[in-house]
Amino acid sequence: MNYNWNWGIYFEPSPEGVGTYADMLLSGLQWTVATALSSWVIAFFLGSLIGVMRTLPSKAAQAFGTAYVELFRNIPLLVQMFLWYFVVPELLPESLGTRLKQLPNAPFVTAVVCLGLFTASRVAEQVRAGIQALPRGQGMAGTALGLTVAQTYRHVLLPNAYRIILPPLTSEFLNNLKNTSVALTIGLLELTARARAMQEFSFQVFEAFTAATILYVLINVVVIVLATWLERTVAVPGTR
Amino acid sequence: MFANFDFGVIASSLPYLFGQGMVFTVTLTALAAGMGVVLGTLIALMRLSGIPGVTHLAKGYVELMRSLPLVLVIFWFYFLVPYIGAWATRSSTPMQVGAFPSALITFTLFEAAFFAEIMRAGIQSIAKGQTAAAQALGLTYWQTMGSIVLPQAFRNMLPLLLTQTIVLFQDTSLVYVLSLTDFLGAASKVAQRDGRLVEMYLFAAVVYFAVCFAASFLVRRLHSRVAIIR
Amino acid sequence: MTSTPMPAPGAAKPVATAVQAPEDEGLQTGPLVTPPPATAAGVPMIAIDAISKWYGSFQVLTDCTTQIAKGEVVVVCGPSGSGKSTLIKCVNALEPFQSGQITVDGTRVKDKATNLPKLRSRVGMVFQHFELFPHLSIIENLTLAQRKVLGRSSDDAKTRGRDLLARVGLSAHSEKYPGQLSGGQQQRVAIARALAMNPVVMLFDEPTSALDPEMVGEVLDVMVELARDGMTMMVVTHEMGFARKVADRVIFMDKGEIVEDAKKDDFFGKPRSERAQHFLSKILQH
Repeated sequence: MNYNWNWGIYFEPSPEGVGTYADMLLSGLQWTVATALSSWVIAFFLGSLIGVMRTLPSKAAQAFGTAYVELFRNIPLLVQMFLWYFVVPELLPESLGTRLKQLPNAPFVTAVVCLGLFTASRVAEQVRAGIQALPRGQGMAGTALGLTVAQTYRHVLLPNAYRIILPPLTSEFLNNLKNTSVALTIGLLELTARARAMQEFSFQVFEAFTAATILYVLINVVVIVLATWLERTVAVPGTR
Repeated sequence: MFANFDFGVIASSLPYLFGQGMVFTVTLTALAAGMGVVLGTLIALMRLSGIPGVTHLAKGYVELMRSLPLVLVIFWFYFLVPYIGAWATRSSTPMQVGAFPSALITFTLFEAAFFAEIMRAGIQSIAKGQTAAAQALGLTYWQTMGSIVLPQAFRNMLPLLLTQTIVLFQDTSLVYVLSLTDFLGAASKVAQRDGRLVEMYLFAAVVYFAVCFAASFLVRRLHSRVAIIR
Repeated sequence: MTSTPMPAPGAAKPVATAVQAPEDEGLQTGPLVTPPPATAAGVPMIAIDAISKWYGSFQVLTDCTTQIAKGEVVVVCGPSGSGKSTLIKCVNALEPFQSGQITVDGTRVKDKATNLPKLRSRVGMVFQHFELFPHLSIIENLTLAQRKVLGRSSDDAKTRGRDLLARVGLSAHSEKYPGQLSGGQQQRVAIARALAMNPVVMLFDEPTSALDPEMVGEVLDVMVELARDGMTMMVVTHEMGFARKVADRVIFMDKGEIVEDAKKDDFFGKPRSERAQHFLSKILQH
């Protein structure tokens, strides 16, 4: 088997003119993290809202929540990415569509919106499950004290539900982070894209992918450590 | 805004989209799911074996696969499989592996990690007394697993296994990064050729949605029926 | 004379459950097993020799020694947590033990050379929670191990299975699933399943303690029948009525030790240890 290992490749200048291959990979890592965090903000708030809607007594709210989740869950993420990037600008009024296409960071913005809305459907399912796992008396107790529905959710149901679903939310966060790599198809220069570019320029296939693999594993470890710390910090004394 | 929507391009490419694209997607999904469940079950048994090295190996494999994006794993195996083939056949040049076998190996190995976690939960959900009763009757480890534990675990986990298969069906669209002609790949090729991105991608989305929505509906129905009588 | 009322055979009707079985045929007379041929007296069927067992640093069994002769029925009792269930599970090596030795019908349980599946196939065991296999029909529950372990043909296994189902009065249920039977019926099936393997000894681990009170009788009837047919039995139970009726000896355990090991009449007449007296006074008050 002929493969010429070259572990020094990371410190050789990349053909982009500035910096080494290592710099290239690290800039990819930054885009991955930036995309993951930005889209998570959308996913978390929108997902919570839709999850709550699915637990409301209003049939219309439930139907909207269900429709949202089903729509975003049953279309592959890659197809959604293409819809946001190629199709949506065409369907908008021409001036707006052109402006979208000419955004300086179009792939980044598209990826954030697409991942945010996609992951929101998954967060919504967790939030719904968390609220439904609470004893039914909790909501009634809130109402009995004179809290409005919004206040009951804000101060009673959601704080407890989030604590219950912290572990699955952590894995949704990690899924969202891994899913940023799908955005390489619309030109986002995130970590996997940079590893792929390094492989194409240098022909050092395994060095490029090994570096990317190690970086992904490291982010996973960091996120899990932080989540464990968070879980301990927000744990209510006397439970579990 | 749908004024110049061209249904003709969809109609004329249907044979290509389904005859080639969808056949590729469904074949890949079915084979990878079948092989992935078998491999995943073995990994789950390894992880539950309690033999130190074996348990850690299985755990490490599952954790690694779960922490990597599928796109990266697809690239990994696309380049790795020819070298493994060369090593296995003691050849000096990377082995030529077709696009389909390469994709099949990738998805089988990747999904096995996820099926392994489902089967592990399934095996652990079977009461310990069942294993004790089977052993008390003189069944060996493999007989106990094969006749008592795995059939129950499989039945209990069937809805989850099928749901994961629907996820796999969607995930196969990522072979796009290797320019293979799965359903999305076929749609994309027509879209580029005829400059009809709006029509083709919307149509692809509708088809994926219809298939996945119907499949998850059936899984939910099955869920209420297949439950073991206790 | 017994403290537990023994219903007449077939009198115990299972309570109405969601899926109620039709008629119970009632227990049929006739031996459940053919009595074992008499062999040289003095060779114990089960020899438990100085067993000790720890969970980490916690000792659950301390130097337990006793013997059970062929055809003998021994009841093991004691407060919960006394180690009696653990001890009986050591006999067929479902629980490992760190020191001591157990010999069953001449085969040493803790020995690398021992074929455990083969040994276990000759030791029938009945569990507290029945442990029928829920995904298999009743007749499949009875035939699986016969085919896989003893290598019997499907037909032979079914014949033997049906025979035993008839003996425990459940012929009509052979095609049902465990979840469709009452607890008492399930436990009778579990006994039949163990007997189908032609065991030389039967172990019962609290066979009636998970049952509703009105179903205890039907299970005990089967066990009494079995004892009278000469089966060697080791029974962990709180059913003192059963012990008085058929036991040869009673072993009393507490805190992982065998405190008392006496002939039935001696045990009920005048237990020597204070702990056993205390236990009996509590359990026989009712």
